[in-house]
Amino acid sequence: MLCRWPALFVLLSALSSPSVAAQPLDAHLVIVAPAAPGGGWDQTARALQQVIERHGLARIVEVQNVPGAAGTIGLAQFVNAGGGNTRSLLITGLVMLGATLWNDSPVSIAQATPIARLTGEYEVIAVPAASPIGELHQLIDVFRRRPEAFAWGGGSAGGTDHILAGLIAEAAGVDPRRVNYVAFSGGGEAVAALLGGHVAAGISGYSEFAPHLQSGRLRAIAISSPSRPPGINVATIREGGLNVEMVNWRGVLGVSGLSNDDRARLTTLVSQAAHSPEWQKVLLEREWSDLYLDGAAFDDYLAAERTRVGRIVARLRGPARGAPIVAGQRLVPIAVLGGAAVVFGALVVTQARNRRRFPAPSSPVRNRGAVIAVALGLVMFLVLLQPLGFIAAASGLFVMTANAFATLRSRRQQLWTIAVAVVFIWLVHLAFTDGLNLPLPHGTWFDSPVLGSLTTGRAWTR
Amino acid sequence: MDALSALVEGFRVALTPINLLWALAGVTLGTIVGVLPGIGPALTVALLLPVTFSLPPIEAFIMFAGIYYGGMYGGSTTAILLNTPGESASVMTAVEGHLMARAGRGGAALATAAIGSFVAGTLATAALTFSAPVMANAALRFGPAEYFALTLLAFVAVSSALGDSTMKGLASLFFGLVLGLVGIDPLTGEARLSFGIPQLLDGIDVVIVAVGLFAVGESLFAASSIGLDPESVIPLRGSIWMTREDWSRSWRPWLRGTALGFPAGVLPAGGSEIPTFLSYALERRLARDPKGFGNGAIEGVAGPEAANNAAAAGTLVPLLTLGLPTSATAAIMLAAFQQYGLQPGPLLFTRDAELVWGLIASLYIGNVMLLVLNLPLVGVWVRLLAIPRPFLHAGILVLASVGAYSVNRSIFDIGLLYAIGGAGYLMRCWEIPLAPAVIGAILGPMAEQHLRRALAAAEGSWMIFLTRPISATVLLVAAGIALLPVVARRWSSAPRERRTQPSG
Repeated sequence: MLCRWPALFVLLSALSSPSVAAQPLDAHLVIVAPAAPGGGWDQTARALQQVIERHGLARIVEVQNVPGAAGTIGLAQFVNAGGGNTRSLLITGLVMLGATLWNDSPVSIAQATPIARLTGEYEVIAVPAASPIGELHQLIDVFRRRPEAFAWGGGSAGGTDHILAGLIAEAAGVDPRRVNYVAFSGGGEAVAALLGGHVAAGISGYSEFAPHLQSGRLRAIAISSPSRPPGINVATIREGGLNVEMVNWRGVLGVSGLSNDDRARLTTLVSQAAHSPEWQKVLLEREWSDLYLDGAAFDDYLAAERTRVGRIVARLRGPARGAPIVAGQRLVPIAVLGGAAVVFGALVVTQARNRRRFPAPSSPVRNRGAVIAVALGLVMFLVLLQPLGFIAAASGLFVMTANAFATLRSRRQQLWTIAVAVVFIWLVHLAFTDGLNLPLPHGTWFDSPVLGSLTTGRAWTR
Repeated sequence: MDALSALVEGFRVALTPINLLWALAGVTLGTIVGVLPGIGPALTVALLLPVTFSLPPIEAFIMFAGIYYGGMYGGSTTAILLNTPGESASVMTAVEGHLMARAGRGGAALATAAIGSFVAGTLATAALTFSAPVMANAALRFGPAEYFALTLLAFVAVSSALGDSTMKGLASLFFGLVLGLVGIDPLTGEARLSFGIPQLLDGIDVVIVAVGLFAVGESLFAASSIGLDPESVIPLRGSIWMTREDWSRSWRPWLRGTALGFPAGVLPAGGSEIPTFLSYALERRLARDPKGFGNGAIEGVAGPEAANNAAAAGTLVPLLTLGLPTSATAAIMLAAFQQYGLQPGPLLFTRDAELVWGLIASLYIGNVMLLVLNLPLVGVWVRLLAIPRPFLHAGILVLASVGAYSVNRSIFDIGLLYAIGGAGYLMRCWEIPLAPAVIGAILGPMAEQHLRRALAAAEGSWMIFLTRPISATVLLVAAGIALLPVVARRWSSAPRERRTQPSG
């Protein structure tokens, strides 16, 4: 019975291959925004998406949000699970750099391939309209009096917002470790908290505050630029008497180990987008400064930033090792793991006691064989998806599951099952790849030189 | 009255034949992607953005609104028929809905979901029409302390969904909470329970937990009873439509679900899951025959389905009035607004009145279309259950796998799906309920983040939860719900196995 599987797979693989190679290389570009929707990276990703699509530089550009931990989750996934997708870009920036250093993250920006720096945005410190604070020196006075009582709201811990809060504290003569910083996982959430007055002051990019500054619901206290940017009438931090400035740059990275050709191709694509009039219009609309930089110059800039931010983060954390303890940090993990241990333990004990008291009156008999057959089908799918591609692996899964469930098996039923499987899998494949433009694995097996000659025989299936 | 005349104007815009066509295209597409596990409205709208750029904004937004509402509705179909919730907001629908489907009442379950979605969608859109700015500002009063109180309330409320055995329900809940712990702690960046596996750093997607436990676990369990158990699924028994009794049991849950869902959707960090949990718990308490719950109670489908659709409409409130996107779909709608050079926010209603009111009018129209489209389809969908079991389960496993893959396009996620499916199978064998695990995986991380933010803002003082009026009120309600069964037990002589208040 099982000996027929290999033949089936080869057949199905051959059927699956025609749809593989037809797409042009930049048909489906993925831009990973390593933040929750609404934040600065998300806006950058979506603006880039629009410009690339409008210029036809790629047929479909998809933005994926992978939020959390100031982009390190997105970076980790991009570097590790990106699967060497040479057609994907990761939005990066100072925040991500800060976070990888802050977290002693196992992944580093250096693992990805630098493509280009795109924009820079200055940071604004703002307060709700109802706040008595009007100028930076007033804010500093309140903050200095009791730093712990002054809650700053902003993006993830260790990010630009957090680093700026630390720098301001340091410049104001307050130990940065005393900064009471409340981290939110996205610009939208942080702005909502500030609008509702749940934090005393907020730090974020200008664009995220802009609509609310214009409507008068928030008041800008200071901006982190060296001088007042054109069109933005907000005093700089320097004007407020603190020697602090910072630009939150954003750029794009490619997956690790990108070949020179692929890197050049992505760089060209990004460069064309960044030099288009549409992109310039976006910059103007969002009030982002154009900081375009690519090639070796960007490599050098990135290296310099890594050094600089590493120094700042070390100061923020203080000489002692370890991040400052955030209130309740250990509470939930301990409660959950402890509770789980107690509950699972109690369950095992009561079950054992019940079993002793009522010795298995109708311990339900299970059809182990069928479960194992289905499980084998799942394992097979998992192992073969990458090498054989979706159509072959999924057809195998379908046939194996159906066989496990079928109690009677005649040859006709077998053939019928295979026919249903092939048609169904084709439809699913069609719906995902052509309908939704979500590529499914096509089978690396066919890329190997040994099989290359074999798969030239594919032509007849077209 | 002002809003009313503006709305009439909006209908004038939306009711042109071409716009009706776009609305129809939107709801159809939305329903289809809602049915596919893992593919949601957010992804669909994102994929369509470049296609629609050549359209005038009003036509594009009318279609997007249709996709959004259609997707929320479509998710319930697979939850009810195949026990495969396509998104986390449909988990509670799967619990009673699938039991109904197994008992041959799938048609009624789908109908109450469709009509409930229509009722909730329409009422919530009306609330959006007339109270958006007021609601949005009220929602801003919710800070971390209030959100924590709300998650605690949800925990207490869903303890009633723990099943017959408190111990087993708690075991399931804690399993979910442990799954929720996995990954980088967003507030400090510290990795937890990730065992050095980088793919686990970003945590376990709730869709994978839900689809793994329900769909994969269900298929394995079904395999285990081949040849031992007579056919346990009855495709259809009695009328396909809702009976008079179904109607009388459904209309109150629809309204209560709407009342819970809409405000929760408006809250910037509320999420669409919490109202479905609350609605399920509320209906279970209020049901005339509480024993019906656990055997396919129509109230348990009507309430949560209404709640998640009302929440979807609620999400548009902060988006349109404040420019704050609070869900993935809303974020993409925001991008779409920006693509047309529009800035959602306080000024949108005055600056682009025709567009906003046209969009709101099309929400009403989309709701009607969904109902017209889906009610006749109920008969078709129910036939899914008549598919021979070998093909049905093979199909479920393939769709679940490809859905899990498409979330992050990661094969690791498929492995995770199967591992969780294996756990789901064991839980089914040991008669441990599945829903609490999904609830724990959703609520656990939410509760923790809100708790820690609230504590940080209050310098570590726990009094913040009691000194803030909204938070204190919500906690009082939670305490009331937690203590009610204890008091009730004192009064009635019959002991009831329903303890509450898992610590989270």
